[in-house]
Amino acid sequence: MKADPRDVLTGTYYIDGDVAIAYGALAAGCKFLGGYPITPSTAAAEAFARKAPQVGARFIQIEDELGSIASVLGASWGGQKSMTITSGPGFSLMMENIGHGAATETPFVIINVQRGGPSTGVPTSTGQADMMQARWGSNGDYEVIALAPDSPQEGFDFTIKAFNLAERYRVPVMVMADECIGHMTEKVVIPEASEIDIEPRRFFKGKKENYKPFKRDKSLVPPMAKAGDGYKMYITGLTHGENGHPLLNKKKLPDLDSAEVIDKKSTNRYLVEKIIKNKEEIIELGEENLEDADIIVVSYGIISRVAYRAVELARKDGLKVGILRLITVWPFPDEKITELAERVKGFVVAEVNYGQIAFEVDRCSRGKTNVTLVPHGGASVHDPDDIYRAIKEAAAEKKRYKGLREYTTSMELSVFGESLEEKYSK
Amino acid sequence: MTGRNMDKIIEAIDKAIDKAGVERQKISLVTDIAYSPEVVDFLGADLFHTSRGRAIPYATGMKLANPKLKPVVLIGDIATLGGNHLVHSCRRNMDMVVICVNDYIYRQVAGEKAPVDAATVSSYSPYSTFEKPLNIPHMARSCGCVNVSRWTALHGGELTDSISAGLQRMGLSLIDVITSTPDLLEFYHSHSEVKNDEDTLNVQIEESKKIIVGNFYSAQRDSFIEAYNKQHSKVLGDDFVKIEVE
Repeated sequence: MKADPRDVLTGTYYIDGDVAIAYGALAAGCKFLGGYPITPSTAAAEAFARKAPQVGARFIQIEDELGSIASVLGASWGGQKSMTITSGPGFSLMMENIGHGAATETPFVIINVQRGGPSTGVPTSTGQADMMQARWGSNGDYEVIALAPDSPQEGFDFTIKAFNLAERYRVPVMVMADECIGHMTEKVVIPEASEIDIEPRRFFKGKKENYKPFKRDKSLVPPMAKAGDGYKMYITGLTHGENGHPLLNKKKLPDLDSAEVIDKKSTNRYLVEKIIKNKEEIIELGEENLEDADIIVVSYGIISRVAYRAVELARKDGLKVGILRLITVWPFPDEKITELAERVKGFVVAEVNYGQIAFEVDRCSRGKTNVTLVPHGGASVHDPDDIYRAIKEAAAEKKRYKGLREYTTSMELSVFGESLEEKYSK
Repeated sequence: MTGRNMDKIIEAIDKAIDKAGVERQKISLVTDIAYSPEVVDFLGADLFHTSRGRAIPYATGMKLANPKLKPVVLIGDIATLGGNHLVHSCRRNMDMVVICVNDYIYRQVAGEKAPVDAATVSSYSPYSTFEKPLNIPHMARSCGCVNVSRWTALHGGELTDSISAGLQRMGLSLIDVITSTPDLLEFYHSHSEVKNDEDTLNVQIEESKKIIVGNFYSAQRDSFIEAYNKQHSKVLGDDFVKIEVE
């Protein structure tokens, strides 16, 4: 399906990433934004709030983030594409209902314009340290999808992509932007509506009496219904069967013990399966010169742009450096990393944290190659020279070291006056 | 659920739907504790069991996404977990009926004290409580709620009328419903006194005093959607896409 021309602000703009995200949401057909202001994400909600009443979308400032995310779930079951926009501390508050959304297979989008953390952290500066929280920040077993844009243009594009994925897989999708992207002003091109593909909500078409909210076909994704249409739905975050009714009531199921109930009757398994089994379709990667690379630089979000400079410098030295950019961070491209690990000298992972995705790369490398983390404590991005030197060191490394190794950046040296290795060996 | 006499409240909702002449499928029950799925069949409505304390904002989003719905929100005596939402929903006056199911104890957990308790021995207050209990009708009233009432679950007719009135009018109606186990509920009922239009300041539930019930306050104020339409029409004129409720 193509986008509705009414929702698409076709044109060439010079706007920041936050605004681009808001325009992307409108173009995707988002009709509800429940939000609570938090830097550095506010410009996105502001832009949405201005345009929404003119395209039949609704913006409401809810009293807090706990309520914001709840309103987004409610709006989704009300039949509209819905989203919230936040940053780290708000994201933390939303975790309970992200889990509720995953459990009730509710499609919605969360924009997290990450800032320095932990806790209140650095409100006006960047960070990439919410990546692990995005995956499993709520309690229990589930899988979500997370995308990482690296420019305002991608803020627009990936927000549409996020809505499409949310509808296709009935899952919360997170756009893990960061302060740099949110506040960076660049050229953004918004195409004609006829050039934008939109995934419509897949509604149940059979007889109302036969509707079961969690009954699925081969795609593993059940069709939806919306509140008020007479389907008599029972939707709960309690572990449920395909009709949505809670399980684990031993009195009603005297012949089964609780483990059997979960295995045989609940839809829990599918919360994971529907994402993992469809991984190939979901995962998108940016790849460059991987074929003959000795060293592969792995990065995502804003750092993929910083790393590019480092790769340029390394290539001038004649090093064979490939780039693997995680456009989709979750689900993680395990197989791709494992396959590459067989034939490269090492991975260099640069991210604005002390190691989150680097551990995933190391896990998937299965000891077959060296993995170097180029960390950053947040509030800024790496000096490209640091990544460049890490690439050079990795290329010159003769030994196969076991596990992840951390590169000591110029920042670390200036702060601690010595490498971490030296510091702790004393 | 039977322990809380929920059937009485569900019955009152059932009768109120007929009385208000609302289409059943447009009723959306939004709750923050689990109810038996049979409630859905009995009422012929959808039920959304949300996370603890978040039923009000969940219903707020649902109503804005689908303005033809009539959300009936059932919250426990948990003005603690969702207290902030209760405060702001009263101020916002979103179209919904909020029923505060008040049984003085977290019966579905393990019998801990609730914020409306006065001098109660519970599993979390084995030496009784000493905090001042919350006066929910007064809290709602002072936050701008224009439809406030309280009944015990045994005031079937009055409760039905309050819910039915809430379903028919725009804006938020808050109904504080006192309930409990059957024997205790009898006691509460016989120790209650109807005082319509009573100042909510005077309806604090206190030990060894009568429980004041009644329709405490009712007035007209633009609901969220009415106010939303008015304000945006004023500023945006023809560029505004109005929220259609019917």
